[in-house]
Amino acid sequence: MIITETPEGCITIVALNGTLDASTAPELQKSPAINNASQTVVIDMEHVDFLDSSGLGSLIGTLRKKRNMSAETLLSCMNERISQVFEITNAHRLFHIFDDTSAAVDYATQLNSRK
Amino acid sequence: MNSIITLTLPSDLIFTRFASQTAEKAALLLLNSCDADTGNWQFTHAFELAVSEAFSNAVTYAEQHSTIQPVVITFIFEQQRLTVTIRDTNQEFSTETPAPDIDSYPERGYGLLLIRTLMDSVTCIRENNANILSMSKEV
Repeated sequence: MIITETPEGCITIVALNGTLDASTAPELQKSPAINNASQTVVIDMEHVDFLDSSGLGSLIGTLRKKRNMSAETLLSCMNERISQVFEITNAHRLFHIFDDTSAAVDYATQLNSRK
Repeated sequence: MNSIITLTLPSDLIFTRFASQTAEKAALLLLNSCDADTGNWQFTHAFELAVSEAFSNAVTYAEQHSTIQPVVITFIFEQQRLTVTIRDTNQEFSTETPAPDIDSYPERGYGLLLIRTLMDSVTCIRENNANILSMSKEV
């Protein structure tokens, strides 16, 4: 999996490209923006071709870590296959999910301005 | 089409995607063979995801119990039905585990929930010191 981090003001867009499953999920946890628990991130899933429960678990782990430090994990651009995993597990209730990354960035910026 | 294909993979998570993509292709092959809609992504993705879950579970439990043996995946094509079995030699497990409570933010435990939701039938039997998880779905 290829992970690209792009700073956007006080948040970071983390763009994922590839598969997020049991063999690649640990790579996400090594990403600097993910590891920086106090930094809000927008995870752009547009180029994630497959996600299983291990990948979902790594996203939930990220969310939990960030919320413990009053930061957020926003998701954007999920395809219908990935959305199905979130709906079956009810994980869509935990996350703010956006159709496009710019909307997620705008929301994250508003959140940060309220702090 | 009535055929059986058997795939033996090393017990290593690096082969998870190989297993899941093979399952997706097997589902697509069945759709083709019975002149069904090959754009039926729900059918192909169900097998892709279910096999990813089952294979990674088998490998992870083997690592935890130091019983690393190959994982055998069998694809059984019957008319409009595809059945996939995953055979491992780990400790016995049950498919009746409860679904995780999402509100407590669990990071694990969704695999069987996904498999049970996506497949028409799921069984697990213990035979000759091996677990055989069988997952089946009709077009």
